[in-house]
Formats: sequence, C-alpha cells, structure tokens
Amino acid sequence: MRTTKVLALCLVLLLAGTFSITAGGQQEAEEAGPITLTVAAGAVGQELVLAKEAATAYMSMNPDVEVIVLETPDLTTDRLGLYLQYFEAQSGVVDIYQIDVIWPGDIAEHLVDLNQYGAASVAADHFPAIIENNTVDGKLVAMPWFTDAGLLYYRADLMEKYGFSEPPATWDDLEMIAEKVQAGERAAGNQDFWGFVWQGNSYEGLTCDALEWVVSMGGGNIVEPDGEITINNPKAAKALDMAAGWVGTISPEGVTGFGEEDARNMFQAGNAMFMRNWPYAYSLGNAPDSAISGKFDVVPLPAGDSGRGAAALGGWQLAASKYSENVEEAVDLLMYMTSYEEQKRRAIVGSYNPTIKGLYSDAEVLEATPFFGSLYDVFVNAAARPSTVTAPNYAEASKIFFSNAHDVLTGKQSGAVAVRNMALDIEDLIK
Amino acid sequence: MSQHRLERSEQKLAMLLLIPSFLVIFLIAFYPLGSVFVTSFTNRTFASSVETETVGFDNYRKLLSLKIMKLEPIFDPDTGLQAIDDFSGEPAYQDPIDLLPRDPFRYKPLREFDLFGTRYVYAATDPKFIQSIEDTLFFTLTSVILETIFGMMIALIMIKNFPGRGGLRVAMLVPWAIPTAVSSRMWEWMFASTRVGVFNVIAQWMGYTDGQFPFLTDASTQIWAMIAIDVWKTTPFMALLLMAGLQTIPMEVYEAAYIDGCGAIRRFTKITMPLVKHTLLVALVFRTLDALRVFDLFQIVFAQKRYSMASFSYYQLIDNKMMGYSSAASVVIFFIILFFILLYTKISGGIQND
Repeated sequence: MRTTKVLALCLVLLLAGTFSITAGGQQEAEEAGPITLTVAAGAVGQELVLAKEAATAYMSMNPDVEVIVLETPDLTTDRLGLYLQYFEAQSGVVDIYQIDVIWPGDIAEHLVDLNQYGAASVAADHFPAIIENNTVDGKLVAMPWFTDAGLLYYRADLMEKYGFSEPPATWDDLEMIAEKVQAGERAAGNQDFWGFVWQGNSYEGLTCDALEWVVSMGGGNIVEPDGEITINNPKAAKALDMAAGWVGTISPEGVTGFGEEDARNMFQAGNAMFMRNWPYAYSLGNAPDSAISGKFDVVPLPAGDSGRGAAALGGWQLAASKYSENVEEAVDLLMYMTSYEEQKRRAIVGSYNPTIKGLYSDAEVLEATPFFGSLYDVFVNAAARPSTVTAPNYAEASKIFFSNAHDVLTGKQSGAVAVRNMALDIEDLIK
Repeated sequence: MSQHRLERSEQKLAMLLLIPSFLVIFLIAFYPLGSVFVTSFTNRTFASSVETETVGFDNYRKLLSLKIMKLEPIFDPDTGLQAIDDFSGEPAYQDPIDLLPRDPFRYKPLREFDLFGTRYVYAATDPKFIQSIEDTLFFTLTSVILETIFGMMIALIMIKNFPGRGGLRVAMLVPWAIPTAVSSRMWEWMFASTRVGVFNVIAQWMGYTDGQFPFLTDASTQIWAMIAIDVWKTTPFMALLLMAGLQTIPMEVYEAAYIDGCGAIRRFTKITMPLVKHTLLVALVFRTLDALRVFDLFQIVFAQKRYSMASFSYYQLIDNKMMGYSSAASVVIFFIILFFILLYTKISGGIQND
C-alpha cells in the first residue's frame, strides 16, 4: 500500500515537473526580448579584455543585442577540439568563432559565406594573402581579425650592459650573446636567468617555432604548395639539432613544456635575454607592472644558413556559425569586430597586428607600436604553415611535425631520424 | 498441477514487469555501446559531412599490430669492429625504419632492447596507442597499490579514539573533494620546470638538481608525477572505504585476542585483514576500474605529450576527427577493463567459497 502511495507521489511530481518545463518554454518564447549572441574568443594576454570591451561598445550601439564573450582554452589544439564538438552537434550555442589561420580549410562546411552578407567590398582592404587563405571554394568563410608573425624580443638594456651594439642577425650571434649574458647575470646573482625562451611544448606553437628554424636554414616548408613533401633533408635536420642544442644550455630544460604564456611570463619577469613570441607580448611587456617596461625591443628572427630569417604566419579570424539562430545579426557583430576602428583600437591598446593595410601607416597606431612600421615586411612575407595543401588532415600533419620535433628537443631522437619519420608519416597521411 | 500453472503465470508476470528495466538498460547501456562497436568498423569522420565507409578490421589492425625484429650490428669497414652511433654514442645497429614493413600500415619503432647479446626492435603500427596502454597499466597498478597501503594506514589511525578526530577526518577528505581539473593545475604548478615549482626548490635544496628539472616533460618522471597526483587525490577515498570496513569489526574480538596475548602485528594479520578483506576487495575494484579509465589528469597536464588510453581515444576523436579509429580504440579499452572486471569477479568468487 505504501509503495503505491510513493509511486503515485512520484508520478504527480513528474507530471508537475513536465508542466512547469513546458510553461517555462512558452514564457521564454513569448518575450521576444533581446537577441543573445555568443562569441567564442581566446584568452591569451589581453585578448579576453579586448573582446569584452568590443562587446560592450557594440551593445551600447545596439541595445537590442546582448553579446556574451565565451572564454576558450589557451592551447590552439584544445580550442579546435571544443569547436568541433559544437559543430558535430550542429549547436547554435556559439554564434561567432575566433578561428586560427590554419583552420578555414578544415571547418569551412560549418561556416557562413560572408560574401553573401556584403563582406566582399570590405575584404579588399585586408591583406590579400589572408583573404585568400580564408576563401574556401569561392566562399569567404572568415574575416581576418589580427595577423601574427614570430618575432625576436631582446633586452636592449642588457645588450648595452654586456657591450653588444647590434641585435643578433644570425642564430650563431644569438647563441653567443645569450651564453655571455646568461653567464654574466647568473654570476651577478640571478640564478633563474636564461638566454633564450621560446615555445617548445608538444603543440601547434612548436610547429610555428620549428618551421621558422627549418625555413631560416633553407630546409623548405615541410610540404610545399604543390604537395611535395620536402621535410626530409639535412638542412631541416640541422635546424632541429640546433634547437635541441639550446635546451639545457641557453634555454631551460623546461622549455620543452613552454607555451606562449610561459615564455612571456619568464621574459616579462626579467629572467630571459631573448624571447621568440608573437606581437601581443609587446604592449604587455611595456605595461606599468612589467619588470622590463621600456627595456626591450623587437627585431625579425635571426637568419640561418639560408641567409634569411623566417617568421611563421599566425593570426586569427572571426567566423559565423552556420548553425547560429541569428546569422544576420551575428555577421553584423563580426563585421564590427573586424572593422577599421576596432582593429585600430586593438592595435593601440593590445599591439594586435591589424589585417587592414591602411592601419600600418596610421600615425596613432605607429606611435603606440613603432615596430609595426619597421617590421611591415615581416608581416607581409611571413611563412605560412602547410595547412591548405594538407587539408583536411592539417591537424594530424602538424601533430606529426611537432611531436617528432619535440622528441628531438627532449633528446629521444636525432634531427636526421626525426625528419625521416616526419616525411614517412606525412606521406602515409596525405598520399 | 495448479501450483505449476501459478508458477508459470508468476514467471510471465515477472518477465512483463522486467521489460521496462531491460528497455532502460538497452537504451542507456547497450545502444551507445553498440553504436561504438559499429562505428569502430568504419572510417567515420567527426564533425564533417565526409561519406562514411565500412573498413572491416582495418582500424583494429592499425591500432594493435606489433612486431619484434632482430637488428644486425653495423661494422666499421676500417677497423672491422662494431661502429659507434654518432647520436647516442653507443654501438650502432641497423636502422629499424628501413627494416620494418610498411604495408599496409607502416610499423614504427617503439623501443629497442637487448636479449642474449642480440639487439631487437619492438615496433607497432601505432606506437602511441601501445605506449598509452603500457602507461595506463603501470599507472593503475602503482597508484592502486600505493593508495591501498596509505589508505589502510590512515584508516587504522582514524578509527582510533583521539581528541580532534572529527576535524582530522574532515581535513583528510579535502584532496578528494577538490575537482581534478583544479588539483591537476595546482600540481602542474608545483611540478613547474623552474624554481617557480616547489618540487624543483626541494630537489635543488637536497642537491639532486639545479632547480630546473622538467618533471612533466622528462619521460622518466612523467608517469611518476601522474601517480603522485592520483595518490594524493584518491588515498582519502580508499581510507574512507576501509574505515567503513574496519568499523564493522567488533571490539570484543580484539579484546579477546589481546587477553590471549596476541601482538599488534598478529592482531592485524589474523583478525583485521581477514575481516576487512571484502571491503578491501570492493575498494580495489572501484579504484582499479577508475584508474584504468583515467582521463582528466592526463588530458589537463599532458595534452598531446603523453596519453592515457582514454585521452588517446579523445585525441583521435576530437583533434584528429577520426571517429571510427577512436571508436576502435574505445572498444579495445572496453575489453581491457572487462578483463580486469572478470579477474576481480573470479578472485571475489574464490573468497566467497572459503
């Protein structure tokens, strides 16, 4: 008897629950209130703050829209994983995605063709190489937001202190200066001082760093645009062995676990002579709370045997999801966030490189970040990762490259063995 | 006769009443499991409209193919002695990459080893997966043993009556109550490769390192770091379960043994252990299965550096988008865990028959 009562009670509760859910649903549909747009943005350095400020500015102009900025993982690999889960579920939870320069080919089918919403006229103002990168089968799937290129940061005050007049032009110069300054600073009492910090963790960032070493040595672009796999050559092997030689000498052993932020934290705390990083570290390094404010400068990365330095092309785009419930409004917000004014603000406040050519001659921008003018060539000629030629398998191709490079850095294999493994594995993947 | 009929009709009713439960079990257990099985025989791509094809056992063949091959030494033509490898500074052998077969899937060397003076290479078509199985098994075995020993020690202390016991019991549970995502990050920080990390400070102070040891990237310490985090986190759980078991042992038994002149060690081996055996077994089953499925710890701390079985499967699905291949890996993991379940069932059956 008692069981029946309990059962009946459960049933009543269940029914009541169902009713309240339906009622709630109806209520929500009735108030057609403000549209909510969600932007999945990065949180490296000042990214999140800047994106939230842009959202606030947009909301004050468009009171009927509420913009939510969603924080996503720092590691690019993790971020793509998160996005793919939304795409597989065809979820409209996120309306605008911040996507890496290497992804358009892989995820184009989930993105809106911005040309259909009048983006074509604006696209001409941006760097043509990036617009081309973002155009898949004639569809413009993402608007460039900021571009990136690997740069060498150096401590100008220490250069002077140790009697070096010119920043290093070659990797050999860099090694020599780093060794001397590291020894000197350690003798002066800073036991935690290192010569050179960079991104050596086993992730996409290492693909950028290692590509720079290989290209500067004249070792090719891993996979050339025509599909030929060129990584298996002695110059590429030498480049990797060179970097492995830094680990434990001028770079900490732990550099093999470093991402962008680890390197920046160390450099910004005044514990490194050189750093390879993206432009975003510039304004943070000059912030009032930085230990090295006003004491450092930026130059192109050193040259290797090829006689030229190379910078990996990075950068992020904004794309609208096909599964968004408010595509039109989402595209409007996206166009605002990538507009001239917004990119200018980001360039001045956060030293994020604009993708609009005109901004590189804008007086206010150049005053805030002088190196934009002097390094214009670096940004225009940056080396692209082979994402188009290996699409849709770029993620795995890059993983083959960075995990083999990581094994060289940690001493598990030699550069010569690594480049052979890379070539064989990439061939298996894309043949 | 009538009783017989009654029995049968009752059986029918029982079956009828069980149908809803079966339905629920089918929906929440067998359907997802079955769909993973089916997907594991295809090349389905995640989050893509690419056409899916059936590939038979290809995924399994690529995951699990192993080979051991003999490597011939390389002789220096000038001296006639075995040449020395430039990279490792050790005697040189044939390059396994040339030797290993490449069709239909390329074998990649996992490690080399010597047996009776001959060098062999141990190779797999997917060394990362084989490595993840080895790592997960080692992690499970070591962490569960350590957790059992520490858990038992803590439980034995905690059941004693002493002032402040209540507060201490709560404090004991703190590591277990912290979400793994948070505690992993916390430990990652403590294991930092510079003197930011407390372990580097301690190791330097004790004179083992120069304060710059990369605990999380050095292959020899990676798994031990994982074990340390897991033991710290899960020992309280083990202690809690064992405490519950110890509390069921009546005090009179100990008193009687004490009067009979039984020492502390004998009381533990002859009374405590046999009486807590069942609880211990349940705790071991819980922990072993949990440790075999470890995901968050590896994913958060290592990402793509080193995998557990589960984080390998996650990588293949999410980052590599190979849903079929990832499903096959999941099925393999399922069978490995099933093996442990059967093993424990067998052991516990043995105990019950005593």
